[in-house]
Parts: sequence; C-alpha cells; structure tokens
Amino acid sequence: MKISDEISLSARNLLRRKGRTALTLVGVVIGTCMVVLMISLGIAQNQANDEMIQSWGDLTQIEIYGGGISIGSDGKAIKLDDAALTQIRELGHVLAATPFTNPYNLNGTITAGRNNRYVTNIGSITALDPVALEPMGFALESGRWLDTNVINAQSKKIPILVCEYTGYNFYDSRRSENSPKRYRWQGETDSNGNELPPFVDVDKDKFTLTITTGDDANAKSQTWELEVVGKLQQDVSKGWWTQSGIIMSMQNLKVIEAAYNKMEKIKDTNSSYDQVYVKVDDLKNVGDVEEAIHELGFQNTWSSNQQREDMQKQVFRSQMIFGGVAAVSLLVAAINIINTMTMAIYERTREIGVMKVLGCEIANIRTMFLMESSCIGFIGGVLGVLISLLVSFILNNLTTIMASFGQYVDLSGIMGGYGASSSTISIIPLWLMLGALVFATLIGLISGILPANKAVKISALEAIRHD
Amino acid sequence: MAPIIHTEKLRKVYAVGKERVVALNDVDLTIEKGEFCCIVGQSGSGKSTLLNQLAGLEKPTRGKVFIGKHEISAMNETELAQFRQQHLGFIFQSYNLLPTMTAAENVALPLMFKGIDKKTRLKLARKELKSMGLLGRANHLPTEMSGGQQQRVGIARAFVSNPKVIFADEPTGNLDSKTSKQVLYRMLELTKNQQVTFVMVTHEPELAGCADRVVTILDGKVCSNVVQDEVTKTRNREALFADLQGDMAIGGDAAKEKSN
Repeated sequence: MKISDEISLSARNLLRRKGRTALTLVGVVIGTCMVVLMISLGIAQNQANDEMIQSWGDLTQIEIYGGGISIGSDGKAIKLDDAALTQIRELGHVLAATPFTNPYNLNGTITAGRNNRYVTNIGSITALDPVALEPMGFALESGRWLDTNVINAQSKKIPILVCEYTGYNFYDSRRSENSPKRYRWQGETDSNGNELPPFVDVDKDKFTLTITTGDDANAKSQTWELEVVGKLQQDVSKGWWTQSGIIMSMQNLKVIEAAYNKMEKIKDTNSSYDQVYVKVDDLKNVGDVEEAIHELGFQNTWSSNQQREDMQKQVFRSQMIFGGVAAVSLLVAAINIINTMTMAIYERTREIGVMKVLGCEIANIRTMFLMESSCIGFIGGVLGVLISLLVSFILNNLTTIMASFGQYVDLSGIMGGYGASSSTISIIPLWLMLGALVFATLIGLISGILPANKAVKISALEAIRHD
Repeated sequence: MAPIIHTEKLRKVYAVGKERVVALNDVDLTIEKGEFCCIVGQSGSGKSTLLNQLAGLEKPTRGKVFIGKHEISAMNETELAQFRQQHLGFIFQSYNLLPTMTAAENVALPLMFKGIDKKTRLKLARKELKSMGLLGRANHLPTEMSGGQQQRVGIARAFVSNPKVIFADEPTGNLDSKTSKQVLYRMLELTKNQQVTFVMVTHEPELAGCADRVVTILDGKVCSNVVQDEVTKTRNREALFADLQGDMAIGGDAAKEKSN
C-alpha cells in the first residue's frame, strides 16, 4: 500500500467525523498553548533578568578583592600579587586577568591648561594591565592601545588612554571652593542654553602628573608628562571609569609609586593588589573558574553569575509549577485522543475487518491509525502555536492595549523575576515553536499506539458477521 | 482439471461456554480449478465455517488447507494478507462497501492494498464496473445505490484484481429473488470469462442447481459432493433465468432492483 493512499484514507476518516475531530483538536490546542506560553514567559523573564544583570556589569567577569589576609596551607599569607595573577591566568577558560587600581594612596594631582590652572586628583587614574584590555572586551574610539613597556627612570613621558568625558574631571583651581564656576559637568549649559565644553580638551591639552610629599617647608615633588595615545570607548557595564577616567598601564603606575615611596622613605611596600578582574571565555564557565579561584585561596570574589544563577533557579521553579499545570492539560489532551481513536475503531470494526479480508496488511492498518492520531496532534500543535503567538503578542502589548481603555496593568515579573522593568513578558523563539509542533505530534503518535494495536487485533471475521 | 482447493482432515472446534461445538469434523474436500462450486447446508451445518477456513479467515483447530501449492493453514497473518491480496477475492452477504468511498474507489480498494497507483486502479475499476453495467454509478456513494447495485459493486471489487479464487458468503442473502438471479448470472458469467474458481455458500437449492459442483454439509461433515453434468446444469440455469431474458443484456442497469 502506498503511503499517499494511507494519508488520504486517514484524512478521509478524520474529516468523516468533523465535530469529534474538532473537539479533540481543541484539547491539543489548549495543551500546546499552555506549554508554549509558560515556557515563553520563563524565557522572557530570564532575558529580562540577564539584561538587568548585564547593566550591573560584565557577566563573564569575576572580581577578586585582595583586602584582608588569608593564610594558605603552608602558613604564609596569600597575597594577590603578580605571582597569584600568573596562577589565575593559567586556569582553564581564563582569557585575561588584570589588577585594577586607583592610586588614592598617593598624594598627587593631574593638571592641564595654562599655568596648570585645571586640576584633578591622582585618583582619576585607573591602572590596568594593558594586555588584558582587549580580551576583556574594551574597545578603542581612536588612537592605539597602551604598550607594556615600562618607562625608564629618566623618561618623563607616560602614555595614557583617555575617555569621552575625561575633561569634566578637571576643576578650575583659580575659583574658590564655594564658587559654582569651579566645576563643570556634562550637559551644563550657559544662560543662552548652549552646552558648555569641559575645561580641558583631551584631544589638544597637555597633562602633567605631579606627586608631592612633605609640608610646605620641605615639600618635594616630581612630575611626568602624560601623553594621550588613544581614547577608550565608553562601556558603562564595565565601570563608570570608562566614561571619564585616565587609564595607565599598571607597570608605569608602579614606577610612579616607587618614586613616591622613595620620596616618602616608605620601605614596607604591600605588593598585594586591591582588586583583580578576571575575564572568562564563556558564561557557562564562570562558575567553575570562580570555584578554582576560591581554591587558590582567594575567597573574596564577586561575579554577576552568582546572581544570575539564583535568578534562573527562581524562574525555573515557577516555570516548573506552571509547566506542571500545562503538562496536566496536555495529558488530558492525550487521553482525549486515545478516547477519540478508540471510539473511531469501534465504529469502524467492520470496515477494518473488510479491509483485512480484501488483503490489507496489518502494518498498513496500524500506520493509518497512527497517522490519524499524529495528525490530530500536529494540527493541534500548529493551531496551538499560532494562538500562542497571538496571546504572546497581546500580553506583550497589554499595557498599550489596556491604556487605550484607560486601564493600567503591569505584568512584568510574573515569573518571579526581580521586577526588571521590561515590557516583553513573553518570548516565543523559533525553537520553541518547532519543539511544540514536534512534541504535540509525538503526543498524538503515542496516544495512537494503544488504539492502533486494538485495530490490528480486529479479526477479519468481523466482516462476515451478519447483524 | 487440476485441484486448486484441497483440505485434509479439516477440523474446527468452537468453545461455547463450557461446551465444545464441533463445527467441522475431519473434512476432506477438493475443488477443481475453474469450477463454480456451491456449498449448501442448513443453518448451523458448518458451511460458513468451512468457507472461512478455505479463505484463511480463521485458523483450523486441526488439519490442513491448500490453495494451489500454498498451505494457507500454516501462514501467519501478514503472509495471509499478502496471499489474499494476490490470489483471492471476496464477496460478502451485506456487501461491505466502505461508506466514505465511491463505487469506483470501492472497486479499486484491493488494488490500492496491492500498491497500484491511483490512476491505474481507478481505470481498472471503471472497466470492471462497466462489465457489471454500473459505469453510470461509478461516482456514487454506497448509500446512493440499491442493494443489487451495491452487490454488483461488491462483485466488481472481487474480480478486479484477477484473483485465482473468489469466495462468496451468501452473496444473494440480502437480495430479492429477481435481483438474486441477476447477480448470480453475473457471477457465473464472469467466472466463465475470467476462468477463476468460485466458491459460494448459499442455502437456496435452486441457485446451487446452476453450479458445477454442489457440496452439501451436514453437522460438520461433507454429506454429498456432486459434480453436476452439463445437461442438468443447462436445464437448471434455463429454468432459473427464464424470466430474466430482457433484463440480462450487458449494461442492464435498467433492471429494476428492489432496494433492501
């Protein structure tokens, strides 16, 4: 028997009892809709959560804090120093690791403009390992990256990167501390509403770094020229310093620190970094790498991955609960199909007998019934997905729709998210649509197995029976 | 003439409650190729059981059934289905046309099971319907036809795949006497033209009188097995079909049939 004939016979039988087929379909449609919508709500919530966490910072970044002293198994204090950094870089899945320092411990200023009129604190400097910048996802707006070469003691030129709004960091030292004109901030306008530029033009002006020690009488100072070699692209998710910082290589900051320590006669230097950033190759490895860092002895770490996992767990929990309800409705749909098919077989007992007498093989009979039930599943799945798309659209635009009736509703966070204000509360990706179709068809197929087995067991003698 | 159907000590026992009913008791029977054979007997004599055994619709309790060289009593269900597909035809008392299919589609059904494509099988079905004088009804559903017409569709369905043997279980049982005669005439005619072997169960002695061989069953045993001579057959047939004459022309769709 040809497959096309089996399909046509199955279709004919489905169409024969339109009402009953339609009612069975409704069951499958409702079940599919429930499952698709529940999963779509979870996906949307996870996405909203991810977006929120992303706004907190890079998801694949781990921060290690060096503060506090931990003692290793050998009894020595574990330092977050260059040796530790090398160890961390050698861990699997680590793309880069860099210390991250703002030298607030130094007494110094950065000045620009005529007579060093415009000033900012040395703490505006952010020191990083220049090799790590690119792997960590930073990008240049213009110019070039910092190199790793350490300036020699005689050189008075230190390369730096600046940011879009670095100029606003400077204040006018000629104005009194109470004068509002001492500072300038981004977006400030004059009386005519024209935007005021920052005091310092990072593209043109020269910067001078000065460190000072001692009081007025025996004050010592040392200066370097800061040479702008490039401009960093702003990425707030990686920190506000990408908006207005001055970026210098860690190696060069150490030279400045050494000079400062020499002037201050400080001998006992702490080689442990305050903070280290570790970049991991993929989101899924963040947990493992964080664990490995803990094992190295650095317990004090933070990654948004921890938060993300907690949130995902919570969304998953609510998804399981709602999904359970959806699964029950699909189970009812499956029972519905079994019932419909069994009824159809009782009605067609004689026909099946006749077909057997006329030489229809049992495999064909089984295929026909399985096709019928799979067909109910498939069509129900198609309708279910279409209706889900419609419901999803309505849910996502509910605020707008209800607003036109003068009502206000907010459904965001119904899957147990952290109230991320996202208007998208249901997302149905392609894989979910296809998955739902396959799943619904499978349910139809499985529901058909029992009735189909019943059908093939019908005796050919049913055809002969006189009644 | 060569034997085409052959049974050896065929026995069928049914369990009815706690009682055991012997429906067939060691039946040895041979039917020759090309014969029109009638199996007659009273109700409950076992004639329908015998037919079911010969057609392989039921397994015997003991004994063997051969059709040609094939021992069908030893076949499994799939083999039997394929064997029926290739070599057997069947006509039912209550026609058993599939209600969702037109006359032509019903006739083409055995060809569909054989895997013949739609165009070819519908063409063959129409040809068969034409020889049954029903071409005009090819696209009618069974519910739109009289009993006699339905049974002629049933006959066309049995003959369409050129089977070796056709079994008919009281094919005229639901028809009035005139229609019965027309239907029998068609079956005799086709049997002769297509050289098939025809085995028919009936309880009407006058119909059996037209057959080449009449097997009488009584209490599960063959009580007589008569091959009728030409003279007897011709006499019986002329007597039976005497009042039909005008209605028997090919394409006799005009024949008035009483619907059941």
